[in-house]
Amino acid sequence: MMFVLRMAWREIRSSWTRLVFFFLCVAVGVAAIVAVRSVIQEVREALTREARVLVGADMVVQSGRPWTPEVVARLDDALQRDGVVERLEVIETATMAASRTGQVKLVELRAVSPGFPYYGAPTLGSGQPFSADLLRDRGAIVQPELLVQIGAAVGDTVSLAGQPFTIRDTVVTDRVQGRGGFALGPRVYISVDDLRTTTILQFGSRATYQWFLRVEDRVLGSLTQDLRRGFRRDLVTVRSWRTVEDRLGRNLTRAENYLSLVGFAMVVLGGIGVWSVTRVFIQQKLKSVAVLKCVGATSRQILATYVLQIVGLSVAGGVCGVGMAAGAIALIPASVVALVGVESIGVTWSAAGQGLAVGALVSMLFALVPLLEVREVKPLLLLRADTSSSARKRGWQSVLTAMGIGLALMGVAVWQADALAPGVYVSLGLAVVAGALALAGAVLVRLVRPLAGSRVFAVRHAVVSLGRPGNQTRVILTAVGLGCFFILGVRALQTNLLAEFSLELGQDAPDLVLIDIQRDQVEGVRAAVAPYQRAAPSLLPLLRGRVVSVDGARVQLRTAEDVRQEGELAREYGLTFREGLADNERLVAGEFWTGRSDDPDAPLEVSIEQEIRDEHRIDLGDRIRFDIAGRVVEARVTNVRKVAWDQAQNGGFIFVFRPGPAIERAPHSVVGFLQLNHTPDARGLVQRDLVRAFPNVSVIDVSTVLDSVREVVENATVAITIVGSVTVAGGLLILVGAVAMTKFQRLYDAAIYRTLGASTKRLAAMVAIEYGLLGVLAGGLGALGALGLSWAVATRLFEIEWRPDWVGLGGGVVVAALVVAVVGLASSLDVIVRKPLGTLRGV
Amino acid sequence: MIELVDVSRTVTSGAGPLTILHPTSFRIESGQTVAITGPSGSGKSTLLGLLAGLDSPSTGRVVIDGVNITALGEEGLAKLRGEKIGIVFQFFHLIPSLTALENVLVPMELAGLADARSRAAALLHDVGLTGRGHHYPSQLSGGEQQRVAIARALANDPPILLADEPTGNLDSGTGHQVVDLLLSVNRTQGRTLVLVTHDRELAAMADEVIALRDGRVESRTARG
Repeated sequence: MMFVLRMAWREIRSSWTRLVFFFLCVAVGVAAIVAVRSVIQEVREALTREARVLVGADMVVQSGRPWTPEVVARLDDALQRDGVVERLEVIETATMAASRTGQVKLVELRAVSPGFPYYGAPTLGSGQPFSADLLRDRGAIVQPELLVQIGAAVGDTVSLAGQPFTIRDTVVTDRVQGRGGFALGPRVYISVDDLRTTTILQFGSRATYQWFLRVEDRVLGSLTQDLRRGFRRDLVTVRSWRTVEDRLGRNLTRAENYLSLVGFAMVVLGGIGVWSVTRVFIQQKLKSVAVLKCVGATSRQILATYVLQIVGLSVAGGVCGVGMAAGAIALIPASVVALVGVESIGVTWSAAGQGLAVGALVSMLFALVPLLEVREVKPLLLLRADTSSSARKRGWQSVLTAMGIGLALMGVAVWQADALAPGVYVSLGLAVVAGALALAGAVLVRLVRPLAGSRVFAVRHAVVSLGRPGNQTRVILTAVGLGCFFILGVRALQTNLLAEFSLELGQDAPDLVLIDIQRDQVEGVRAAVAPYQRAAPSLLPLLRGRVVSVDGARVQLRTAEDVRQEGELAREYGLTFREGLADNERLVAGEFWTGRSDDPDAPLEVSIEQEIRDEHRIDLGDRIRFDIAGRVVEARVTNVRKVAWDQAQNGGFIFVFRPGPAIERAPHSVVGFLQLNHTPDARGLVQRDLVRAFPNVSVIDVSTVLDSVREVVENATVAITIVGSVTVAGGLLILVGAVAMTKFQRLYDAAIYRTLGASTKRLAAMVAIEYGLLGVLAGGLGALGALGLSWAVATRLFEIEWRPDWVGLGGGVVVAALVVAVVGLASSLDVIVRKPLGTLRGV
Repeated sequence: MIELVDVSRTVTSGAGPLTILHPTSFRIESGQTVAITGPSGSGKSTLLGLLAGLDSPSTGRVVIDGVNITALGEEGLAKLRGEKIGIVFQFFHLIPSLTALENVLVPMELAGLADARSRAAALLHDVGLTGRGHHYPSQLSGGEQQRVAIARALANDPPILLADEPTGNLDSGTGHQVVDLLLSVNRTQGRTLVLVTHDRELAAMADEVIALRDGRVESRTARG
């Protein structure tokens, strides 16, 4: 052991200049990991906070029916477990609010218990904190528009279902999302206890009964699953901040997945650099290894000597990397930090620890491949120079080692990506691209062989260099190709994600939703909003109904009770009828009708969303009976649509009917989506005009809801851009180094050419052609791999539309070729201009 | 004692198998100085590589002090070389990242000798390099590097010393000094010395000369 320690120290002492790049590679890699991880952790915390605020709790268990004693008993039992901290009851329903002057308005009532909400308390108009005390003894807190609409003020009495409540305050911002679907009117807060003293719940009105839970993170996933499984047939749904099933939740997951993926990509980029340096280092040490074997050192002792050096350098590089990360993070301007939605970003302990561990682990794994060659070095090399390559063995041990290293890397991938899928996608991509690159190396050498007869000296020798013994073809192709694969892949995904996000924040998002427009008010509303609109409002009929039976080929639900057994299918749906597909819809099966059906006796046609077919086995030709406000109608399924919910700014519907007399007779109102023009007072004026002319119409300012989404998405966008840029910059640095390292192999050749009379210009041209050719091929293959990776991740993992970034990828290939050629040339400059004697003497 | 029994070496080249050493048998007694001579490509270095266990014969066996080294694995051979064989190369083959003293120290450290450092210094003194121990190989002349290599070969006091063209890379003056050093070490300490050389003058100083041509022993001449 002492020998190993001494030798490792002596080697580092004398070879440190050659290992500086190894050190830097680890440092840059670790710095990037630590910086990216720190940003990820901070952003993830910010996003988690945001998601919790939107849910108001860690988890919400809710039902559309009052809790029966039996369900309550089972729920109590299910919640009697470690990790469930506390819970409180919330009931949401719609009711009529009337002022003393007799003005009436439909409101969304949210009855809460003390302690509501666990996260993101609403802010009140008075500035005081939201508290259950304000609701005690028939107190109410209302959204300000209600005051305008019913002509009331704070301190007045408002009547809810005939019971007087005192308006104690107004709620200015309220980010806890409601029970889903459309809010039917302004929100009113009262206490659950007071609600129970009214008759509101006895009218059989639509109410949602909820338990808000505070739950420790570690049990959140399992508890959600257990409850969903256990209460599926009781019409109980479970949602948590982690499974927010709206587009916000999906965006959070996508952003997280992307950041995790980038974390891993950075690790591999660092690994490629490490592999390149170690390979060159070992190549230069082959004779020393042979000498050591000659004087009695065993392979194990020699391997241990080099492994120890690598470990030492990795740890030192890692520590330096943590320092670099701290410096880099400190340089991020405060304004950018604020954009991410956090107050400050610093290196977190866990990020530093993870960076150091991953740095050491990956350095070791990547270094091990070239290091293991030490075992194959024959001491005979000292007598005959051609021994090293012929003596290589590829036995089962090598195969096992390669498999072990591959599996370990896959493990690191899954660990870093924090999820199986991204880790597996990237690992598979890595393997495929590495294989393609190895193949391409061999093919390239064959393809360009005819050029070896070129009349141009530089071309002839550049081509010969590609295929000569000890050539750099494989090394550069692998390093640059894999580097391009990751850098371009990360960039392509970034482009895809950001395009998706910008679509969500797109200009076609409505600012106001107008609810409860009566059919005879449609034209009046159109006229009223015309001065303020950016585009003609989208007006859709809105019916509310439940599925009461299904007569299908694969499913038979004869009674409402049968439907209830199907869980989600029994909920109340928002329904509409229209003549064509919406922009965010795609026909999956059957044919969408053309125009309305004028025959009053014709059977009704309905279009279902794909989810209904997949989840409940309802298909083309099946008959569904709906209860729409007490009237039962039967419709035949004639087509299946897929709705892109992410783009459902103007509403998305599970069931859409073909317009015709039968469905139009059903009781319904009209809902309008309005985009405001940019005149300063449009928002206020249109609301005033509408309330005056159509007091029954509720105007919901969805821009506040959208703002929450927008804020989160924008935070994620900034984080993705920062993290992506760090990766691209770090990756580029490592690639530059990896290419530069190959110069050591060229020293001797250049010296010989020099001695034989080659001019500087010729040598430079040779190098530029050789490296440029490799750069184009590596960049091209890397870009192809990146294209595949971005397709797989976008469609399979992110479930977004794939937009190939041709310009980015094409640019990437050009940049790769230029970088490789320029770096190859720049790093070979001293080789080209230095006096050959020193090299030939081996100094 | 070194014994070769029907030892041959065939390699595969582009044109098919090529026998670079035909079956050869001879014995070298302990304490003898033997020179192996012959033109380039006659199989001299191949023979030396086989004697040192640096290469494996295609047929036959090499026996050193009663041990059939052909049957040993790489680790066993490394151990054997560490204990019994010192090798001096034409191109010195010092480890460039170690100082002269450290180059000499390595075999002793591998063998776990207690007073390695003082012994290494003494060996450097013996080869006339007192005060140069802290120099790296690149800071030494060819003759000095070869003397460090001899000191390294003698580090573990091996009974057998093999030298491949030890003067081939040196001018004649320096070459003489190195030869004198090798021979004196051999005579005073009773080691077996096997020299591969082109140099007739050097070969003439050996107890026996084995001349090779085209991979076969052409003649064996003992000094009278």
